[in-house]
Amino acid sequence: MTITSNRHAAYSMENVIDKKTRRSYKRQRFSAGWSLFYKNMVGKIGLYLLILFGAMALASYIPPLVDPMYHPMTGVDPLISYASPPSWRHWLGTDNIGRDIFSQLLTGARVAFLVGVSAAFISIVLGTLIGMIAGYGGRIADSLLMRFADMIMVMPSLLVILLLSVLFGQLSIWIIVILIALFRWPAVARVIRSQTLTLKKRPFVDMARVAGASHIRIIFRHILPNVLPMALLYMTFRVTSAIIVEAALAFLGFGDPNTVSWGMMLQWVWKTGHMFQAPYWLLPPGICISLITLSFYMMGRAMEEVLDPRLRKIQKADYAAS
Amino acid sequence: MNLKSLLLRRSIEILVVFGIIMTGLFLLFHAAPGDPISMMVDLTMTPEDVERMVAQLGLDQPIWIQYLYYIKNFFTGNFGTSFHYGRPVIEIISERLPNTILLFTTATILAAMAGVWLGKIIAWYKGKAIDTWTTIFALVCNTLFLPWISLLFIWFFAYWVGWFPLSGMMTPEIWVNPEAGFFAKAVDVLHHMLLPLLTLFIVNTGSYLLIMRSSMLETIKEDYILTARAKGLSEKQVRNRHAAPNALLPVVTSVGLSLAFSVNGGALTETVFSWPGIGRELIFAVSNSDYPLAMASFLFIALVVLVANLIVDILYAYLDPRISY
Repeated sequence: MTITSNRHAAYSMENVIDKKTRRSYKRQRFSAGWSLFYKNMVGKIGLYLLILFGAMALASYIPPLVDPMYHPMTGVDPLISYASPPSWRHWLGTDNIGRDIFSQLLTGARVAFLVGVSAAFISIVLGTLIGMIAGYGGRIADSLLMRFADMIMVMPSLLVILLLSVLFGQLSIWIIVILIALFRWPAVARVIRSQTLTLKKRPFVDMARVAGASHIRIIFRHILPNVLPMALLYMTFRVTSAIIVEAALAFLGFGDPNTVSWGMMLQWVWKTGHMFQAPYWLLPPGICISLITLSFYMMGRAMEEVLDPRLRKIQKADYAAS
Repeated sequence: MNLKSLLLRRSIEILVVFGIIMTGLFLLFHAAPGDPISMMVDLTMTPEDVERMVAQLGLDQPIWIQYLYYIKNFFTGNFGTSFHYGRPVIEIISERLPNTILLFTTATILAAMAGVWLGKIIAWYKGKAIDTWTTIFALVCNTLFLPWISLLFIWFFAYWVGWFPLSGMMTPEIWVNPEAGFFAKAVDVLHHMLLPLLTLFIVNTGSYLLIMRSSMLETIKEDYILTARAKGLSEKQVRNRHAAPNALLPVVTSVGLSLAFSVNGGALTETVFSWPGIGRELIFAVSNSDYPLAMASFLFIALVVLVANLIVDILYAYLDPRISY
């Protein structure tokens, strides 16, 4: 028998369960998970907050259309050229050169989503790939990759990115996103690796191997679907840390000068010395950064409870006891 | 394996990692497009002067010779002269490092103690309203944006209420006064330290509380807790003597893992409060393109993180006698 025919056998074995039952099974699992998620108060708060910030990001396109003076970066009120408190004309007041704080705040939501989600996505892809290779590959690959991960983990990422920015000049927002991602994969890789190590020993992987599936096929077809939920869970936590690092960079004056992020707004308040005179300018960006990271973090914790049956059991046992 | 051999093995590992970091930093500074000489040359210098300076700094040598010099300089404490201060870098570092260690260690220890204590108690009320609200409160504390909460505290406590000084670490009048004793100086530093300490404390306590709580919930399910209850021990005894010591282990691990992240936070706090620490010095050096100072500060921060990791490992081995490395 040739290897090719073995592979055909593997394909047909995977298709024993027909597609329809599989789909309905998936739907059932999803709705069960969703109801668990929704019952969780922490998850619910996180979700509502996230919807709010999503709406803010979408609404950020509106103010510049209303009047060019509401443009977050270049729009200047022709009548006001100083920091002014909230009014009907400017709902959250203006900054020291007469730009509208409310429209800056809306644009900040867009930047936060962009930075957070894209950096988290890159770091998840990297972490999952490296984790699976380390877990599935032999001992040498495993210890080499994990030592490397450990080394990156002890590096204070913010300070390294600062150092890079002094050496290579002003960093654009996309370079910052990539750098954040490069520093944030090790934790993901660790978790995925340990999951892969246990999955590797499971009978279905042995069966696939006996059926003649290649290593790449086993990794992507049999292991990846099983570690994917965990990877998605970690993505929510990576989003929070990416947003915090970008905000901190911008706050210190090393952000992309062409973007209006919340960290940038805080830097403007701080550097122009308005923090004692203009609380209406100091409060909103900080509240937004804290709340958006909180919402992703809360979503992550609620998802953790859905994905990790051990956490669920405690709760059920506890409710039964009380 | 006993503690001594663990210590030896981890120290060697740390040396290797530090060597890699040093090499990486050296290569980075070489790959950078900027020319360090252009920062030091002024208009009065003749081309011969510049050439002599290049030779003096060893920049005309091949790269591996430069690398050897770099290693030698590190071990002899010669980091060159700061562009901004015009003083040897090692002097500046040795002034700043103790300040950072003072603030950072105090904040970490206090926050760990408070977080572990609160997490221990809260876990016992799992599912009750107090647990839900404390958890949400801890989540909020944990995700507060550090520079912003620092600014807010300065605005409120130092500017509005006026209880604390706005920034810095000491009042010059007290320190130049020869009559001021050690006690007066210590109180002065403490007065300046309270606000940055409070900021770091609030943010760190939240995360320790959350970790301790979930670790306690895992421990409660263990059989030995059931046994302890069956023996008729009081709930307090079960919690404090049987559950808490075992729940402490994952907390210690995560402290080690989050160390690098809290160093970031420490540098931000130092910057906002103008606390003369090494993190602030690094950010300052980076803003002013002060290459020698930036490089040395970074190396020392990396060293502090690595040593702190070592301490965490030893603590872990001490807390869990089952662990053999």
